Amino acid sequence: MSDAAISKAAPEEAPVDVPPRPALYKSLWSRYTSTSPIVVAAYALFLGLVFGAIIIIVTTPAVLDAWREIFRHWDGLPHAINVSFDNVGAAYRAIFTGSIIDPQGFWHSLTTGKNWPNTLTPLSETLTYATPLLIVSIGVGIAFQTGLFNIGANGQAVIGGIAGTAIGSMIRLPTVIHLPMALVGGILGGMFCGLVPGLLKAYTGAHEVIVTLMFNYVTYAFLLYAVLSTPFQQPGQQNDIGRTLYSSAILAPLFGTKSGLRVSYGVFVAAAVVVFAWWLLDRSSLGFDFRVTGANPSAARASGISAKSVIVLVFLISGGLAGLAGFVQVASTTHYIDGGFLIGNAGIGFTAITVALLGRNRPVGIVWASLLFAALSVGGRNMQAATGIPLDLATVIQSAVVLFVATPILVKEIFHLKGTGQAATLQIATTGWGT
Amino acid sequence: MSLVTATAANASSLVKNKRTRVIAVLMAVVGLFTIFVFAIGSPGNTHSQLTFTPINLTNAPWHLGTLTVLTRWTDLVLGLVMMLLAVEVFVREPRRGVMARFGVVAVLFLLALLFWAARTPGPSPIEYVNVTSFLVGASATTMVLIYGALSGVMCERAGVVNIAIEGQFIGGAFLGSMIASTTNNFFYAAIAGALIGGLIGLVLAFFALRYRSDQIIVGIVLVTMLSSLSSYLNLQVFTPFPNFNTGNLAPNLPIPILSKIPIIGPVFFNQSGFFYLMIVLVGVVSFALFKTRYGLHVRAVGEHPRAAATVGIDVIRVRYINVVLGGAIAGIGGAAFMATQGQFQVGYTSGYGYIALAALIFGRWRPSGAVVASILFGLSVYLSYELTTYQVPISIYFLDMFPYLITIAVVAGLIGRVRPPAADGQPYIRD
Repeated sequence: MSDAAISKAAPEEAPVDVPPRPALYKSLWSRYTSTSPIVVAAYALFLGLVFGAIIIIVTTPAVLDAWREIFRHWDGLPHAINVSFDNVGAAYRAIFTGSIIDPQGFWHSLTTGKNWPNTLTPLSETLTYATPLLIVSIGVGIAFQTGLFNIGANGQAVIGGIAGTAIGSMIRLPTVIHLPMALVGGILGGMFCGLVPGLLKAYTGAHEVIVTLMFNYVTYAFLLYAVLSTPFQQPGQQNDIGRTLYSSAILAPLFGTKSGLRVSYGVFVAAAVVVFAWWLLDRSSLGFDFRVTGANPSAARASGISAKSVIVLVFLISGGLAGLAGFVQVASTTHYIDGGFLIGNAGIGFTAITVALLGRNRPVGIVWASLLFAALSVGGRNMQAATGIPLDLATVIQSAVVLFVATPILVKEIFHLKGTGQAATLQIATTGWGT
Repeated sequence: MSLVTATAANASSLVKNKRTRVIAVLMAVVGLFTIFVFAIGSPGNTHSQLTFTPINLTNAPWHLGTLTVLTRWTDLVLGLVMMLLAVEVFVREPRRGVMARFGVVAVLFLLALLFWAARTPGPSPIEYVNVTSFLVGASATTMVLIYGALSGVMCERAGVVNIAIEGQFIGGAFLGSMIASTTNNFFYAAIAGALIGGLIGLVLAFFALRYRSDQIIVGIVLVTMLSSLSSYLNLQVFTPFPNFNTGNLAPNLPIPILSKIPIIGPVFFNQSGFFYLMIVLVGVVSFALFKTRYGLHVRAVGEHPRAAATVGIDVIRVRYINVVLGGAIAGIGGAAFMATQGQFQVGYTSGYGYIALAALIFGRWRPSGAVVASILFGLSVYLSYELTTYQVPISIYFLDMFPYLITIAVVAGLIGRVRPPAADGQPYIRD
């Protein structure tokens, strides 16, 4: 939004006798020092990576030993700095090669034309991770735009995953009917789980943050119950593993099973969701009602928008998308649910909150944000395998990034960016606990 | 103008009455269920045994024997009490304390379920209910909730929503475990918990006050960060060095004579230092908030910061102080949790920080109310947990849901009839 504002404002302010286009390096420079959301996000990512690097340095024994040495000999300092950079570098290199591409492998494939599937695996994994993350983040973003916090997206995704998997694993049908039915089942499961906080918020005023947070724990208990009890548990299993989807209800890999690349037809589901969200928010009157309610609740009330129905509808849509994401996650990766499905920080529902904030709750922004955070999470797995640094570091970096994105003024101060901070502040109405 | 207000008030009171009725009906349903299933449904000759001897205090001079009651009649009495409360709420529609009665009914229901589950002859492998050890266990949960709710009182009375209580619990438990394991001194552990909790509070205050970020978002992101950071450090530090996380429990400090009183003694006078500190803190916070000049400033800042600034109160400073102190209290709570539950594990605070937040709302943003609410929540959390050891025909996973469902019900029943500090969650812009 502010991008457009900046580019529009520039020619108007330019006096007539000066050439209308400034030198390229100048316009680029002014861009890098402006407070456009993309620039702020990039600086926030940088700060997040610095934060992560500090954490690696203060918690890795090898690095700490090197720093302890300098208390004995001052000349150990370069060595200590070297070791720090080596460790941090190895970790971040592993994140990059594990999530985007390994330059050596890429060069090898490019020159010999062999081993392409192996080279593309990191990208495929990132897309596989990003697909459900994108869907659930769009749902969370729609809620944010309406001024509602859907913190329970993880629980809604769990219920959606269970519902979709139940349909996909307990009845046999041809693919044409089965897969859509399972997808709809996932949506309905998530909707059901989103409906309760929505209704409670609309008709009793119970704050959705507490209700949805509590629902996460309820759904987690339900998940354990489901994967350990008769109808849903894998027959003949004693452990917490649910039934496996029939092949007619899975989202098949895009490049065939033989390629080994897991990226599935789920990306088309995600693309459809992005288009739907764009249409809903930018083109439909319903989306207009949503945004007005989010921007100014009293103005919305005055213009005759029913706050109650908006709240319930937003939670239905948000929950439905989360449920869909839960099923897409199952149908494109494991094809079954176990007791550890979407647990804790690995839960896409929690990452989705940060993704939606980073993407400024806009569909296109969320696409980029989910790709970025998916890359961080997938790369984190590779980092854990390669360097032994726990993959939770990825989540730490993600939350640090969002903390900085949520405070653009701080980023502006650190990097001496120009421009008013106003354009870059997050527009979410804080309502406290009020009714 | 006055007509409009009058109709609005009328309408809202109508809605409230309707909601009171719904709550009363819910209570009645629970009561009827108890009467028909637990009381009339259990055979007439079954009985439940209650024992009172604490496990860790066998040399108590005054022993209480075993109390044996007939399951049917006990549960009938409990069910009738629930029905009585339901009828009272339905007919009288009391202005205050409706949800407190609802909480009492929920606890009574779990109690009736416990008696019924422990009946002999019955399916349960454990044939008695040890009242004292049950209350001791519940007091640990309650203590942690009170720490959390007190932290919330400190922050929200000054107008800052502290959703990061859960994160402060995690931080306090993590660092507390590290310090307690290395020094074996729980006083240091409490200090470490207070420091890390205060630090998290400071970060929250920094983002919320200086940069006016959304307090709920900052809080939630802080919890995410703390829980992933604790998981990261758990693998990076505690796994290779298990002697940093030995999980020794805080020793009990029995108060002479008083600790020998049956039931009350073990629950109130034979506890760890964290418990006594909690009691002291409740007193101190109540006194500071409602009886001192500083407390008056805090409440003014939470209700009407602009007016407070007009009379010369530094709004931002008051908020900073309160959020940091509140964070420190929650951090001690985290250390206290670790000191009663043992070894730090990832995610083992299981949302207590959020339940504490609900207890704060339940307690109407008052320390005393928060204590009562925390006791009700603590009892229901611990009862659900205790019931899993008996053979109950309900899946243990549904029992796990119970505290969270009660929390949702209470919050849903309360909002609109309780009033938060007027400026709670609103950023203050100095002009």
